[in-house]
Amino acid sequence: MTLIVESGYEFWNPIIWLITFAVVMVIVYFFRKRGEAKYKKGEDQTQIFLCGEEVPVAEQRHVRGGNAYWGFFETLKEYYDGIVRLHTGVVNDYVVWFVAVTAISAIILLIAELVR
Amino acid sequence: MATLIEHSSILIIAVPLLIAFLTPLIGMASKKARNSVVVVGLAFVAFLVFALARDVILNGIHIYTLGATSPSLAIPEGTMVPVRIILEVDGVSVFMGIVVAIVSLVAVIYSLSAMKGETGQNRFYTLLLLMVAGTFGMVFTGDLFNLFVFLEITSISGAALIAFRTKFADSQEGGFKYIVVSAIASLMVLFAISLLYAQYNLLNIGALAAAMQYTMLDRIALVILIAAFAMKLGGVPMHMWISDTYSVAPVSITVLLITASQASMYALMRICFILYGVTLDLAVVGWIVIAIGILGMFIGVTMAVRQTDITRLIAYNCVCEAGFMLIGLGVGLAVLGDRTDLGTFGTTAINGAIFHMINHALFEGLLFLVAGAIFYRIGTRDLNQMGGLGHTMKFTAGFFLLGALASSGLPPFNGFASKILIYESVYQFNPILTIIGILVSIITLAVFIKAFFSAFTGALLPKYEDIKEVPKTMIAAMTIFAVFIIIFGLFPGLILDWIVRPATDALVDQASYINAIMGAIP
Repeated sequence: MTLIVESGYEFWNPIIWLITFAVVMVIVYFFRKRGEAKYKKGEDQTQIFLCGEEVPVAEQRHVRGGNAYWGFFETLKEYYDGIVRLHTGVVNDYVVWFVAVTAISAIILLIAELVR
Repeated sequence: MATLIEHSSILIIAVPLLIAFLTPLIGMASKKARNSVVVVGLAFVAFLVFALARDVILNGIHIYTLGATSPSLAIPEGTMVPVRIILEVDGVSVFMGIVVAIVSLVAVIYSLSAMKGETGQNRFYTLLLLMVAGTFGMVFTGDLFNLFVFLEITSISGAALIAFRTKFADSQEGGFKYIVVSAIASLMVLFAISLLYAQYNLLNIGALAAAMQYTMLDRIALVILIAAFAMKLGGVPMHMWISDTYSVAPVSITVLLITASQASMYALMRICFILYGVTLDLAVVGWIVIAIGILGMFIGVTMAVRQTDITRLIAYNCVCEAGFMLIGLGVGLAVLGDRTDLGTFGTTAINGAIFHMINHALFEGLLFLVAGAIFYRIGTRDLNQMGGLGHTMKFTAGFFLLGALASSGLPPFNGFASKILIYESVYQFNPILTIIGILVSIITLAVFIKAFFSAFTGALLPKYEDIKEVPKTMIAAMTIFAVFIIIFGLFPGLILDWIVRPATDALVDQASYINAIMGAIP
């Protein structure tokens, strides 16, 4: 019985990883303690600074889920147009996909048998 | 104790069934008594599952023949084949049993608060217990026809539970889609079973495996079984029902739907590895399974990243994670006939896939419970409507982060331990598969960064200033999943040794499964 996972190539031991992580965190904490600590909570020092502009209210400044990764979706627009079109939400189409997979798998097995 | 273990396999199915029918009666007298009976009953079932798992791992396959003079007497005197209803529990079965036991207990604990305001709770718990009994039956049965019967029980109760909250129109639609997809899959499974029965006059899996000739009819039955169970587990391109149903069911039911899908994956494994075994065109069938897996990973994750409904996002991630398991299983299947490759990387790939099944149930289960907790408090699943919930729902936010990191395969969580086994073993079969897997894991992390930041971080929106943390029983349910995720992540070697490797050994050892039944010929 062992505490590690061996894949054949190498091993994974979470305990070693955690110890390493803890050491790194201690080092990070050491540097953080060197930083400037003289600020007063609740004053202008801790308020959001937006190039001198007025800070919008919470609803307006929060990045919503629908706005995330805009560039990613624009780059892959053609892929998404196609893949979303396939997800019709119509249960008849789901059954068609089942029939298609069954038929394709059967043909592949048949060809494999003929080749063999 | 020995008697209890001897009868444990049937008790694990019978106890939830019995409580299912008692629940409405007890519920009429006292709701508290009903809730207590359901929780204690499932805790007892979990105890039986762990006791049976210990027995199977130490002593080998457990046979239970209904109606026989002795439960281990598989073949009656005067006959040469098994004819009775037989439960055959091996390493894979108990592994799946453990998954179902943990998840069902957590689902019930979560439901105590989450379903409190709903009407018809007596029926809810009856259906839930029927679904649990059906899922246990699917993973314990040694008989193809009973596999069909338990599949039907799971599907019908599952559909009713998805549509349980009749006030939501999308729940009705989800329930309808689930029953249509399940009915077609079940009927096709029945058709395939009839093709096998017509040839061999057998329904027992072990006896059929011993007689398997791999004729043209067997091939047709195989294709139908693979496609039907692939649809039930959410294999691409037959995955579209997953997001429509997982997202609209009560989340405690969604976590049970995950185990039901995994039971279908178990059935697929049982059919490919044990029923057909080395008679298969292993490379061809292995690559078919791998192809469904690759499509699942890629399409699942790219659809997940696009979602703004948090439960649909997690549902598509389930499709993606199923792809990981299919790739591991497909590689194991492709090299099943080659002892060298099987020993070098095939069993590791299967280990990874099987380990990922329980990990998947835990972290996706946790993520769904968190999504349910958010809906419980703010009444929406729309990420565009959320923001800053981490200020008031600190435990829920922490649980989501934990589930997200585990699902993305980040160390030191359990998802990493199973994914690294899949990556490294699959790499030796075909490096492209590993590259796709790592890419998909990176996008998975992006999916959950989006969900976490839009739901929990940022300024607390004024409309949610009065929102509080969810009730303690819901926190307790999420804590159970979280504890398992952490333990499985920190001690993966122990989990592999205790339950995963015995499952893999059972899966690649067709002879032992057959001998457990046919070796008992009088």
